[in-house]
Amino acid sequence: MIARLRGRHRRSDLPSMLTGLDEALAALEGRADPAELAAAQAVTARAGERLRLSGEHTVVALAGATGSGKSSLFNALVGGEVSPVGVRRPTTSRAHACVWGAENAAPLVQWLGVPRKQTTWPHGGTDEHRHVGQQDLDGLVLLDLPDHDSTAADHRLEVDRLVRMVDLLVWVVDPQKYADAALHERYLRPLSGHDAVTVVVLNQVDTLSPDAVNQCVADLRRLIDDDGLRRAVLLTTSARTGAGLDGLVAVLAEAVRGRRARNDRLVADVEAAAAVLSDGVGANTRDEVGAAERAQLVEALAGAAGVSVIGSAVEQSWNLQAAGRMGWPPTRWLRRMRPDPLRRLHLRPSDRGEVRSMVRSSVPEPTPVQQAQVQTAVRRVSGSVADDLPRPWRDAVRRAAGGSSADLRDALDASVVGADLGADRRPAWWRLGGLLQWLLVVAALVGASWLLLLAFGAYLRLPDPPTPDVGGIAVPTLLLVGGVVLGWLLSAVGRAMARTGARLRRRRAESRLRDSIGAVAQRLVIGPVEAELARHATAVRGLDRARTG
Amino acid sequence: MRAKATNGPLVRQDCTVTTGPDVQPLLAALERLGAHVVDVRLPLQTGDADAARIMRRAIHDQLEDYVLPRLRRIEAPLLAVVGGPTGAGKSTLVNSLVGTRISAAGVIRPTTRSAVLAHHPTDAPWFEDRRILPGLERSSRSDTDPSTLKLVSSEAIPAGLAILDAPDIDSVVTANRELATQLLAAADMWLFVTTAARYADAVPWEFLRTAVTRGTAVAVVLNRVPPEALVDVRAHLATMLSEQGLGSAPLFVVPETTTHDGLLAPDEVTSVQKWLRTLAADAPSRAAVVKHTLDGAISSLAVRVFELAASADAQSDASERLRRDVESAYDQALRRVDDASGDGSLLRGEVLARWQEFVGTGEFMRSLESKVGRLRDRVGAAVRGKPQPGKDLAVALETGVEALVRAAADDAAERVGSSWHADTAGAALLGEDDLGHSSSELAGATTRAVREWQGFVLDLVRQQGEGKRATARYLAFGVNGMGLMAMIVVFAHTGGLVAGELAVAGGASALSQKILEAVLGDQAVRTLATTAKSDLHRRVAELLESERRRFLDRLEAQPVAPDAGAGLRALVQDVEDAR
Repeated sequence: MIARLRGRHRRSDLPSMLTGLDEALAALEGRADPAELAAAQAVTARAGERLRLSGEHTVVALAGATGSGKSSLFNALVGGEVSPVGVRRPTTSRAHACVWGAENAAPLVQWLGVPRKQTTWPHGGTDEHRHVGQQDLDGLVLLDLPDHDSTAADHRLEVDRLVRMVDLLVWVVDPQKYADAALHERYLRPLSGHDAVTVVVLNQVDTLSPDAVNQCVADLRRLIDDDGLRRAVLLTTSARTGAGLDGLVAVLAEAVRGRRARNDRLVADVEAAAAVLSDGVGANTRDEVGAAERAQLVEALAGAAGVSVIGSAVEQSWNLQAAGRMGWPPTRWLRRMRPDPLRRLHLRPSDRGEVRSMVRSSVPEPTPVQQAQVQTAVRRVSGSVADDLPRPWRDAVRRAAGGSSADLRDALDASVVGADLGADRRPAWWRLGGLLQWLLVVAALVGASWLLLLAFGAYLRLPDPPTPDVGGIAVPTLLLVGGVVLGWLLSAVGRAMARTGARLRRRRAESRLRDSIGAVAQRLVIGPVEAELARHATAVRGLDRARTG
Repeated sequence: MRAKATNGPLVRQDCTVTTGPDVQPLLAALERLGAHVVDVRLPLQTGDADAARIMRRAIHDQLEDYVLPRLRRIEAPLLAVVGGPTGAGKSTLVNSLVGTRISAAGVIRPTTRSAVLAHHPTDAPWFEDRRILPGLERSSRSDTDPSTLKLVSSEAIPAGLAILDAPDIDSVVTANRELATQLLAAADMWLFVTTAARYADAVPWEFLRTAVTRGTAVAVVLNRVPPEALVDVRAHLATMLSEQGLGSAPLFVVPETTTHDGLLAPDEVTSVQKWLRTLAADAPSRAAVVKHTLDGAISSLAVRVFELAASADAQSDASERLRRDVESAYDQALRRVDDASGDGSLLRGEVLARWQEFVGTGEFMRSLESKVGRLRDRVGAAVRGKPQPGKDLAVALETGVEALVRAAADDAAERVGSSWHADTAGAALLGEDDLGHSSSELAGATTRAVREWQGFVLDLVRQQGEGKRATARYLAFGVNGMGLMAMIVVFAHTGGLVAGELAVAGGASALSQKILEAVLGDQAVRTLATTAKSDLHRRVAELLESERRRFLDRLEAQPVAPDAGAGLRALVQDVEDAR
């Protein structure tokens, strides 16, 4: 019976897979089951260590239940009583190693944690020791493991440790215990992706009739297939009679020659770790927040920051100032008595002083409704991108969106205080209008004085001085009436123009405020959410790469 | 080669006699306990729920399969169950004891999948009815169905003793392991079979430790011993047995030989057979074995029922805890909405702006005028493409309440979601569903509720104004205008409006109140405001109740009995008193 190890169909790019898994692990920190993460981290660490050690050696472990004949098989392969064989169970309590071809193998054996006195080096300089049954085994590190199912719990720990490290696993079973739950449920099923590096050996076939052996092999094959190890090699041996040993040696020799077991094992490890993690990651759905949610958030934040309050304050303030500059001078002071609404909000540039960041505005606190609207908008942002993600990521996105809600109010206030509301600018035509107003006042005063002088002259019966007239109306009258009427008209026109300007200022101020609120939203809500999404995408990409190479 | 045996006394004879002449009180107490144990509900996935469910089943099975039938008929034949790991040769041993192949033996593992019981022909009536193991169908042919019990009558089995071949305790077939556990719990005595290759396996030793703690009588057969290993292995096993407190268990050794037609040579099993015959013939020691095991079983039942009671308590604690999480989160949500709608703060912002528009655009004043004015207004609004400010005010009130309810419900759902998720039972109730935000129906339901509330307020105003229909003012304001004012009054009713800019809002509500009082009278306004407010509270509470239900329905679909644990403990006390 010549069995062959069936290697993987394609050569997987192990370094690339490892890089992928490493990237995914970095992204998954805190967003996956800690035990799964730790297991995957152990895989990459182990893979790194194994890749730095000799690739010319293939580590093969004989594992199995107590009494299945691992040590007998080991001794038969080594060709000497190296591992003690006995009738008391459990027999082997520490792993034994045998190394064919000693060059560069010492660090590997040390990494495996097998003490020197438990290690045999059949390489005696002569070629005959390197051969077992005509096969060249140079490069083989064969381990005899303790049992995994006896009452000695430390044996199981040692097996668990080494089963994770070796390149090729040979499970030795016997006709009595080939169907034990301890073997199939605890080891074979979890290693179902490892069938390229798994060999199952039914030992002690000398105790069965040939017919029984066939039945037994068929049943064992069925169990192994059920465990998900369809491509695993199944052999029969008898350490006592030597039957079937050639087949086992051939499989080992091929594994040593091919030098693929190390790679195949690590690939299977990485794939299994990535498959476990993938369940908790899901697919990549969206990587940015939609425009509608963004707009809604800015709208809600603008409400909470009091943009419309500030906007109307800007408008009123502008109107007040325009009236102060261009209003009819005799009544201007009345306007000045009115408080500036911007000043009341502590948003006048002159109030801000030098240390802007220390200043708080007096914009009213957001109402419960506005707060509720902000909360809902923030939830909608995270919900829109995260509702399809698995739970840990959904929570992470929600945390990212809502995490800085305490900072949000301060940041909004700072952005309101810091925004250029455009309320300081004084258009040139205000000055012109103000000048005109004064000219008109002067004209009216001149007209009035002139008329007074004329009236005084008439009172004193002085002869009427010639008074110039325009179109039959005396110039002083024209000056007085025109000055007053034009002044009033000018202030009315100025008010109307200022109102248009004020509305424009309001729009500009509000859009500036919205811009800076948009920046706050981006910095404190949308940015963190998108960073989390980018992190998720990295994890998905990394795991994809870890599975496909 | 002759089989060798160590024959000590199987059990100590000094055990409490469980079964005096009057076993009826004990039997009745145990029957009540058995009936109650099945009814213990363990629906929540608390930390120990899986283990507790298995234990509930095991307690029930042992009561029905063994303790109750044994108490009812203390004189029934002794049942020795042959148990052990897969491939130990249990069936071969039973076949050899009987002398014919009654249980399939072979190289395919696991070989035995259903139970086979061999008894003396005169003992047949004891086993043909469902006295013991009532859950297993009696059958006369070999079957692989684990729910059947094959009965074999044989002269080779001594009268007064029956041998049951159980499936293995450790193979990959789960049904086998469960059946073996059930059968071993129903045994008067274990005939534990292991082999030279297996005697140090961990799983069988766990079973043996159970036997020790439950006081089950055990005899061990070490099978398949290679001749050269006999002395060594036997000594080692004897040491292990006495380390585990089974030093007094008889130990038989059967060497590894070839089988003839599936049977061991008669010589090989003589010692086991002889020991069984002696035991069967010796009525007092047989009774001692029965009593010892029965006593141990009842004691261990008491211990396990206490553990089950603790698990039941944990279930009702978990249920209570999960319910409290829901209640406190949604109570807080309701408070939040109440606070916001009661202290006038709802009137700020959008509502205030709309109020000013309502008053400022002259709508208010004009609505005081004739219907013509209103008509003109509406036409104007249609031409200008603007909604009426009065409608805007209503919408602003609506959106305000809606936003509050929604955010409060979202908050509560998130809190409950995360606290449930942190609890294993809660996480199991949630499953994959994400209830961490308010339901999608909430927004629509809130809009509807607020509209209905507005309708309710209008109706109230209409009723209050019933007698004052004729007054000019009432006619001038119209029901809608009055209704809006009433709503404003409601939201500012307890109103401590403090901030300076709220003077306008205060003014708004004060103005509204003045007008309403002038039209309806101040007592009527107070009643109206209180009624409208409590109606709003009721509607919001209803909305939140349906949100709360999403969690509570899941919890209540898995009801737990809060007194189940106490009931179990009381029943155990009854059993102890009756012993």
